Amino acid sequence: MAAVNTVEILVQTAVSGLLWGFIFALISVGLTVIFGVMDIVNFAHGDFLMVSMYGAFVLYSFWGLDPLLSLPLVVAFMFGVGVLTYRLLISRVLDAPMLAQIFATFGLLVFLRGAAHLIFHADYQSIKNPILSGSFELFGVTMSVPQVVAAVGAMVITGLVYWFIMKTETGWALQAVAEDKEAASLMGIDSEWMYSLAWGLGSACVAIAGVLLSNFYYIFPEVGVMFGLIAYVAVALGGFGSVTGALVAGVIIGVAEVLGGFLIGPEYKYVIVFLIYLAVVVLRPKGLMGKA
Amino acid sequence: MLRRILVLSLLFLLGISLAACGGTDQAGGDEGAGTPETIKVGAIYPVTGALAATGTDLTNGVKLAVEIVNGEFPDLNLPLAAEAGLPNLGGAKVEIVWGDHQGSAEKGMSEAERLITQEKVVALLGCYNSAVTATASQVAERNGVPFLNPESTSPTLTQRGFKWFFRTTPHDDTFAKNFFQFLEDLKATKGIEVESLAIVYENTLWGSDVGKFEKKYAEEFGYKVVEDLAYPAKGTDVTSEVQRLKAANPQVVMQASYVSDAILYMRTYKEFGFLPEAILAMDAGFVAAEYLKTLGEDGYYILSREVWALDLAESKPIIAEVNDMFRERFGYNMDGNSARAFTGTLVLLDAINRAGSTDPEAIRQALLETDIPADQLIMPWEGVKFDPETQQNTKGKGIIVQVQDGKYLTVWPWELASADLIWPMPGWDER
Amino acid sequence: MLHEVEVLRRFAPPRLGRFVVPALLLLLILFPFVVNAAFYVHLMILVFLFAYLGQAWNILGGYTGQVSLGHAVFLGLGAYTSTLLFEWYGVSPWIGMIAGGLVAMAFGLIIGLPTFRLQGHYFAIATIAVGESVLALFNSWDLVGGASGIYRTIVPESWWAMQFHSSKDPYYFIALGLVVTIFTVTRLIERSRLGYYFRAIKEDPDAAKSLGIDTTRYKLYSMMISAFFTGLAGTLYVQYLLFIDPEMVFLLMLSIQICLVPVLGGVGTLWGPAVGAAILIPISEFTRGYLGGSAAGLDLVVYGALIMLVAAYKPAGIMGLLRKAS
Repeated sequence: MAAVNTVEILVQTAVSGLLWGFIFALISVGLTVIFGVMDIVNFAHGDFLMVSMYGAFVLYSFWGLDPLLSLPLVVAFMFGVGVLTYRLLISRVLDAPMLAQIFATFGLLVFLRGAAHLIFHADYQSIKNPILSGSFELFGVTMSVPQVVAAVGAMVITGLVYWFIMKTETGWALQAVAEDKEAASLMGIDSEWMYSLAWGLGSACVAIAGVLLSNFYYIFPEVGVMFGLIAYVAVALGGFGSVTGALVAGVIIGVAEVLGGFLIGPEYKYVIVFLIYLAVVVLRPKGLMGKA
Repeated sequence: MLRRILVLSLLFLLGISLAACGGTDQAGGDEGAGTPETIKVGAIYPVTGALAATGTDLTNGVKLAVEIVNGEFPDLNLPLAAEAGLPNLGGAKVEIVWGDHQGSAEKGMSEAERLITQEKVVALLGCYNSAVTATASQVAERNGVPFLNPESTSPTLTQRGFKWFFRTTPHDDTFAKNFFQFLEDLKATKGIEVESLAIVYENTLWGSDVGKFEKKYAEEFGYKVVEDLAYPAKGTDVTSEVQRLKAANPQVVMQASYVSDAILYMRTYKEFGFLPEAILAMDAGFVAAEYLKTLGEDGYYILSREVWALDLAESKPIIAEVNDMFRERFGYNMDGNSARAFTGTLVLLDAINRAGSTDPEAIRQALLETDIPADQLIMPWEGVKFDPETQQNTKGKGIIVQVQDGKYLTVWPWELASADLIWPMPGWDER
Repeated sequence: MLHEVEVLRRFAPPRLGRFVVPALLLLLILFPFVVNAAFYVHLMILVFLFAYLGQAWNILGGYTGQVSLGHAVFLGLGAYTSTLLFEWYGVSPWIGMIAGGLVAMAFGLIIGLPTFRLQGHYFAIATIAVGESVLALFNSWDLVGGASGIYRTIVPESWWAMQFHSSKDPYYFIALGLVVTIFTVTRLIERSRLGYYFRAIKEDPDAAKSLGIDTTRYKLYSMMISAFFTGLAGTLYVQYLLFIDPEMVFLLMLSIQICLVPVLGGVGTLWGPAVGAAILIPISEFTRGYLGGSAAGLDLVVYGALIMLVAAYKPAGIMGLLRKAS
């Protein structure tokens, strides 16, 4: 066994934290897009992640499709799920108090998790030998291929979403609806369509995260629980509605969790994340990049 | 509006009362008959929720045991196998009424309450999670209903002085001690010296208990603990944990994890090339059916304390017979959990049969008089006999298995071993 | 004073009748004597417990509009306080109950001070963060039993030790007593100046401030009252289960269950938590009993669908339905 070098391990830990951070960010971006447009938090976000992972798994086990190939299919499917969720459920609680919205999506969470139990049972599933697998070494630091791809994916997706919202006409329309629904509709923007689009987009983002995750993570009905909670905290830490905020916060959480867990003790790794959140919002009540 | 509330609450109370009366009527009918046609036994397991995979293994074990009792299997040398039903109760059939506690102590209590008072079960089985067993068995204790626990290993459970609580499985104190006896044996017979240990455990009830006992015995036997690692069981990743282990560089890792963490750890060990000489696992996640299915070769060569292994069939053919039946019905091999649930169920039903009635006190007496010899068990135990004080099975014993070639093979105690110990673990690339 | 009158007029609660409550109470007192089935008494205890917890949450979340998703912390602190007082010093759980309430209240004050600037989801997540941190802390705090929890010493049954083994009825009446207390307190608050201030803060914090209400102070009052009463219930919870570990009392899922009750019944209404608990608890128990065994997960599917239906079609809760009809 090679001699153990503390600095080496510290660097390795920081890099792994960074990679996990990008994955958290990728999951969080979808959540913040939805919030940014309509001020609603999807509590079932983690379970959307779970559904996309099962999507990749089903395509793999029935048709042998590698997650890389099934990615567009699952993303399209989840876009549809998002739109459907908006049409059937969310549009009804659009003007309801925040609590009713929380519980509409909480009901969806319980429903999806129960359905996963019913259909796939509690078994742990995984995709064997996907194209993206294994790990490589760079300057003595080990990195797993699927994690690196997911990290790069996170950056690309965040960039794309940012570009879409800031630079395209549809993006401007989304912003207009987010700003003032009535005024936007006077300008001829169909807010219903925009809201559907936001839900589709947000769900598509989490689908990308889910499929990339399924390359190296096992799949079971409760897989979304902790990821969902982390995404919720990340989005708030970054500032609700801020795409770049979610990216930054996701990375901060990843590094804090892994590095903090290493230095202070793993039993406190989520405490560290939560304390960072509390410290930040006490100083900046709208998160790091939220609009005041 | 208020009138409506009143009407609603009246309806609610009426509904509850009606349901309650319905429940009691039904039960009254059962008790009236001299020899009931079915004996209802309650079984409470985590059928949904985070532990559902294990819950399914457990319930399948119970199901098979009941099928063997209810049917006629003259060739099986197991209690109650030859005759259909319970002969001393006029051949009454056994019916299991299921409860689902979803891993929650409060729900476990509710389910025990429901099974005892609504379903009128004569005894209870369950609950796997020690915390749930703790609360559910209190309901049984209050109601004076026998509670047989086949698989919770928190030592405290049988130290509560309960009158109605029985446990067949050995507990964590015994298992932790086994690990160190194993290490001592290694030194004595194979010349393998282990000095440094890392103790890794999930930080809820079960894992912490295990960690506590391992630390206690490490001190007693004179081993150095270089890393004492409690970790949150619901985490998304274990990177920081594995990095700490790498930094501490122990010879042997003693680990207590549930199945999702066990899988996560093995993947992360491989990713970062962390390879101790051996991983000594406290069963649970490392012996769940999902573990090898998900990990394949990456899960090989770990050592786990076990209560059961398929290869014990070489010295006990009955194990193969039962496992074949299990496989036929559920499509996979038994494991330590299903075997213990299976055994616990048989022990309980055997006692009910010997009691010859559904009277709780009679069943309790019969349980106390239980003395099942080793050859009628599918376990590597010396038998089943309860301590009259604690009502813990005194004849339970643990074994240590190693995953070799996709199978859990017994490697210790040496006299029960069906395979040679592979030590140290081969590298991640040499598999 | 004109402002005061304005506040009183705008946030006056709906009027309630007088004869209904005593009649209902009488029925509930008679219930264990009429229905002699332990499971239904148990079910009613759970209904009371959650109606109570829901109402305590409602004071902060419903009337004052501060959505907390970490209320289990107060329950847990109350439960641990009275358990430790009993196990270490032999103090009666009745005193432990009050002490538990006070500890929870003090903790509420500590977390309320820095977090009440936060709005909406930021506050909700802060309460989750506090809850999860306390859970992790208790899991590794060996002095209070750590993750292994504490098995309560079982003593012969008595009112002094709040342990009853032969019958559940005493627990039933303690739970009923707690429910009566919290509903009385809530009704008093609803009618008092405090209640108007709470509602004013919920409706429009800025307007409330401009009317001269010290919003932070009243939010803190609301938090302290809510935390105190939630803490009280901790003692009943642990006396009933006779075992405590951090996973039982500090779990996020429990916090969510607590606020699901008033949300379903109707937030910010006096009867909402009662209606919510009376519907939610039996549904959860019966779906698990009747559907859970046959097909794992089906009970959750039904349960989730019901929550979605109520949220989507009756966002004001069942009370909204009743109010509209009358």
